[in-house]
Amino acid sequence: MGGSAPRMFAVEESPTTKKDRGVSYAFLMPTVILILILSIFPLVFSLALSFASWDLSRLEGGVRFIGFQNFATLFSDTRFWDTAKNTVYFVGGAVALQYLLGLCLAMLLNQEIRFRRFFRVVFLMPMMLTPAAVGYVGRMLFNESMGPINDMIKHLGLPIVPWLSNSKMAMPSLILLDTWEWVPFITIVLLAGLQSLPPEVFESATVDGASDWQILRYITFPMLAPVSITVILIRALEAFKLFDIVVVMTGGGPGTATETVTMYAYIVGMKSGNLGYASAIAYSLLVLVIVFSTIFLNSLRGRAAAAEG
Amino acid sequence: MMQLTRRQTKKAKSFITHFLLVLWALVCLFPIYWVLITSFKLPIAVFQGPKYFPWIDFKPTLNAWNFLLTGPTSAAVYRSWANSAILATTSAAIAVIIGAMAGYALTRFRFYWSGLKWKNNNIAFFIISQRMLPAVVVILPYMIMYRIFGLIDTHLGMILAYTVFNLPFAVWILRDFFAGLPVDLEESALIDGANRFQAFRSIVLPLAAPGLIATFLFCLVFTWNDYLFALMLTFSKASTLPMFIAGEGTQSYGPQWWYLSALSLLSIAPMILISLLVERYITRGLVVGAIK
Repeated sequence: MGGSAPRMFAVEESPTTKKDRGVSYAFLMPTVILILILSIFPLVFSLALSFASWDLSRLEGGVRFIGFQNFATLFSDTRFWDTAKNTVYFVGGAVALQYLLGLCLAMLLNQEIRFRRFFRVVFLMPMMLTPAAVGYVGRMLFNESMGPINDMIKHLGLPIVPWLSNSKMAMPSLILLDTWEWVPFITIVLLAGLQSLPPEVFESATVDGASDWQILRYITFPMLAPVSITVILIRALEAFKLFDIVVVMTGGGPGTATETVTMYAYIVGMKSGNLGYASAIAYSLLVLVIVFSTIFLNSLRGRAAAAEG
Repeated sequence: MMQLTRRQTKKAKSFITHFLLVLWALVCLFPIYWVLITSFKLPIAVFQGPKYFPWIDFKPTLNAWNFLLTGPTSAAVYRSWANSAILATTSAAIAVIIGAMAGYALTRFRFYWSGLKWKNNNIAFFIISQRMLPAVVVILPYMIMYRIFGLIDTHLGMILAYTVFNLPFAVWILRDFFAGLPVDLEESALIDGANRFQAFRSIVLPLAAPGLIATFLFCLVFTWNDYLFALMLTFSKASTLPMFIAGEGTQSYGPQWWYLSALSLLSIAPMILISLLVERYITRGLVVGAIK
């Protein structure tokens, strides 16, 4: 490759890589090519589809481009806005609860404890389990008349809760189940974060007479902030995609009280066969996710900068 | 009230810590326990309201398991289980191999794509960010392309989809892992006349074994647990266990709890075993290091 030729894919020269230009691409390109074909192309395809009308049952009939019509329909589609609200509600509730619990559990695990390995394995387990099965287990546990949760509530002398049949309670139930499954993820990441903090800081704080609460508030929590931001972002991005647990546990119901954007896109695309409109719905989820990540990261960076300055 | 000595406070604290840990352990284990005992219940033991202890408040039977493993749906159960296992292991293995190559390239070579002004970090971010996309955005085009190319409901199609699904994660973890490996050994092999591929295969990969295994296990779990791709791209031949569970659980006659519990266990049990394996890698800071 000459120095003046367009070096779009040039490898910079360094002693070890000089003779390795070709080799370096042999290592990298399988991944890049697979992602271009099977991730980037579908993404572009989907964007194009969102401006089109295409029927699943008549794929041969071909595509008809209809401009912004799908998005115009979307704008006045109350079911879409409901699913968007449900999704945001779910993400906010689930991630907040999971972070709080995860932080507590990570701090508990970070102490001198017995049976450390047992606790770690058990605490980790829920996130490994198949969500479709977990959703079904949730449906059993939350069942109003035959489920153990209401049974225990009854034994405590409290009124039973219509977990899944009440449209106000269905989403909190879903959040509880999702929390059961995903607290482990936040716990293990925060635990690793805690363990990488320098012990000297805590020792000197203790010597200076700081209380446990002060240490948590003024040392642990701020020092954990970068890990916290990352783990919250990752969990939120996953939570926006909520699909399998809901399908099995509530089926989106009662009514559409727990229907998520992903579910609605699935229903429109596969059940009604309206591929263009389904793509428009899916793309608005993508936009929602990008807007959320940007705002989340910027506001936290702004705060961090303000705290430092 | 008497002032507590330092030692007593410490003891009290340790007691509360252990109490809370046990409490959460019970929360983690109870749903698994519940699905396990329900799979040994007769319908009547389910409908009479919750029964907690086998032999004490209900008589355990193998009815559900018999029906699951020898009944009219057993062929479909075995097929779904086998499909899940084949798709998960194959696509996880491919993703780890290809992902290891890319992770290695991104830590050992310096790239500069001047057209995009991208360096190694940008390329890595581009790859990893694919994992963050909501899958539903790409799933409809997959379905259309798969119908056109005859890949719908085939093992090949599913392996391809799952490989690409797992690839960003594999690159993410393995890039971090290779960055922590010393380069001396491979450099000396290169000086001794080995080429890059030989050095990669005979020196780097063996050194990276723990990272490769951990990544493989995680990709395996992600694939085994997937429902959305299977739902959109398969219907019978290549259909997986989560599809079967979800399909049975949403029947209009209502879920057959004893049967569905046994079915769920077929899907959950291997994952419980894997979490025993995975814990040690997580404790050693593998995997989580990349997230920080």
